[in-house]
Amino acid sequence: MRQAVLALFALFALAPQPSPSRPLHVVAAYPYIGDLVEKIGGRNVRVFSLARGDYNPHVIIPRPSFIAKVRRADLLVISGAQLEIGWLPPLLRQANNPAVQPGEVGFLDLSRSVTLIDVPAAVSRELGDVHPEGNPHYYLDPENILILARVIRDKLSELDPDGSWFYDGNLDAFVTLWRAKLAEWSEKLLPLKDTRVIEYHKNYDYFLKRYGLVLAGTVEPLPGIPPTSKHIERLEALLMAQPARFVLQDVYNPDDASRHLAEKLGMTLVHLPHDVGAVREASDLVTLFDELVGRLTQ
Amino acid sequence: MQTRPWLLLLMLVVLIPARARGQEAPASGQSSPFSQAKFVPDISLILDCSYLMRSLPDERYGELTVPGTAIPHEDATSHRGFNLNYAEITFYSIVDPYFELFAVLHVSEHHLHLEEAYWLTKKLPAGLQLKAGKFLSGFGRINEQHAHYWDFADPPLILDALFGPEGLNEVGARVSWVAPLETYLMLGGELLMGENAASFGRTGIQSASASFHQESVNGPGLWLGYGRTSFDFGDASLLLGASAGRGATRVDEGFSASLAGGEALSGHTLIYGGDLTVKYLIDAIRYVALQGEFLYRSTDGTLYTNSASPVVQSSPYERRQSGFYTQAVAKLGLQWRAGIRLDMLTQNKIVEDGFRTDLPQNLPRFSAMVEFNPTEFSRVRLQYNYDRSRYALEDSHLSGKTVHELSVQVNLAIGAHGAHSF
Repeated sequence: MRQAVLALFALFALAPQPSPSRPLHVVAAYPYIGDLVEKIGGRNVRVFSLARGDYNPHVIIPRPSFIAKVRRADLLVISGAQLEIGWLPPLLRQANNPAVQPGEVGFLDLSRSVTLIDVPAAVSRELGDVHPEGNPHYYLDPENILILARVIRDKLSELDPDGSWFYDGNLDAFVTLWRAKLAEWSEKLLPLKDTRVIEYHKNYDYFLKRYGLVLAGTVEPLPGIPPTSKHIERLEALLMAQPARFVLQDVYNPDDASRHLAEKLGMTLVHLPHDVGAVREASDLVTLFDELVGRLTQ
Repeated sequence: MQTRPWLLLLMLVVLIPARARGQEAPASGQSSPFSQAKFVPDISLILDCSYLMRSLPDERYGELTVPGTAIPHEDATSHRGFNLNYAEITFYSIVDPYFELFAVLHVSEHHLHLEEAYWLTKKLPAGLQLKAGKFLSGFGRINEQHAHYWDFADPPLILDALFGPEGLNEVGARVSWVAPLETYLMLGGELLMGENAASFGRTGIQSASASFHQESVNGPGLWLGYGRTSFDFGDASLLLGASAGRGATRVDEGFSASLAGGEALSGHTLIYGGDLTVKYLIDAIRYVALQGEFLYRSTDGTLYTNSASPVVQSSPYERRQSGFYTQAVAKLGLQWRAGIRLDMLTQNKIVEDGFRTDLPQNLPRFSAMVEFNPTEFSRVRLQYNYDRSRYALEDSHLSGKTVHELSVQVNLAIGAHGAHSF
């Protein structure tokens, strides 16, 4: 009996105790966030990204297995600006994890640290799927990635102060790499400055703004509403008068309307990734932007 | 009388935003030190209307029953022509760092009632959560879901038969626990008052002559337990659930009201449920979802009848019923969904005083629907029902009647309405 008790005691003593040396469990809403957390957190974090990179970020199916991930998370990082409003709240409610509720240390909304564009003065659902806080696809401005990397470093250091030197080092390395890439992308995109483009959904506005491309219209009549023939006719008339060079198409929406426009008006249809994993080549943040730039400049 | 407090609440809700507008832009230099306008909860209104075509006139249809069940429910039957099925007003807000509050008012043309009003904890440790108030029970799969989230215009037959038109919706408390595992595992337990008229009931029974008296159930009369787990296989998610419950049953059908005739039932009822959902994502837009649920109810008790003599007669009563629904729903495009459903009441056995009533078994209903969703806030649904579960009483025989139904349903949502779970 006594031996059994001792054995049991030994078992507990040997079991891994929660300590700062245990990797932080981080749940990221989207793969781009997961990749950035991995780059800054390195071996100190265990990251799980909920959404698939090749699906529509607005309408992710909230699989019950996600609840188990959020239940065990030390940190939940969301993109914010209401991009997750249609799928994340029920997961958070069902996960019974007080540590990652909004307002807690274990919750991070990345959109709070960047400046959003297209903040509507008034909102009405007459205008389609509008986001009252502004366009939520801010992470496709590569300059914003630097801000996000710092915010993530700050958060990881807050949760694990002993590892802050490590996160600082990773951030420095990432910033150096990213600055070099920023210079490269700017140089490659320089010839495209003032090029007129249209896009299917307002996915790439931040990217276009950063590199001086001009958005001439969207294939969707309103955000989230599939193209109608009437809207396409209007768009054709507009593009006839003032031509555009590219049609930017995401990977998850049907591309027939974009294809039709491109063929009819002699534009180039480009399928662009919007997140890590959207296309096979975009395996991390660096290759995501390499791909965005490459597909526009090839 | 009952509706009055809610009318007041409704007025309040209309007034709060009006006040908010008035205080939105104070004149320069002025402040609104006591304004609470920014704390208006999320409010939404869901409206459900339909046009119904049915092969039988309303009077004739109203006489049909699903044998062994309380169907048709009073005031719950739709009519040929236009139907205002319901309007649902929902409120949600975080109360403080510790609680969240939900309330749903169910409004029909002449009634307003509180469908749900409950609070949830946010900060309990160890994966626990408490919920209390009036709420739709987590028993099974579809019971917890609101009508506007259903894949078909009407609830599955077996749920309607066992729990009535409002489902298993009770005053009580729930505790849930999510296991700290890689795999999703949720265990829940509910302690409820057990007032559901179709299966339970708590009010005591007294014969009109006062010679017989059966006490009311004191305190919660119904407990439930359930578990859910889920597995992913590539692009497919599988959700598996099992539920069980036991509650007191008290039914008074004209027993207290008359000296002769009428009967009352006192006993207890066990309910069991098993459910399975598989959702397969074909691509970023399309999916196929298979869902099935099996429910079983067994009641044992005593049946009391008023006979001509002043003595109340009692006899043992036994009821065993079960059924299932199984459905396949596919999202075919950005705005289109279609689905088929099979409903079946499989077991239907009632034994009174050792005599088995021969009730029809294996009562089926087939449904098919096509849905057009212009946006996530609007839906137009065309549904066809081939219903062979209804029977007419002709010369003290039950004779089956086939009913065809075709409905066009429009469901719209305005305001701030929260997202739905899997």
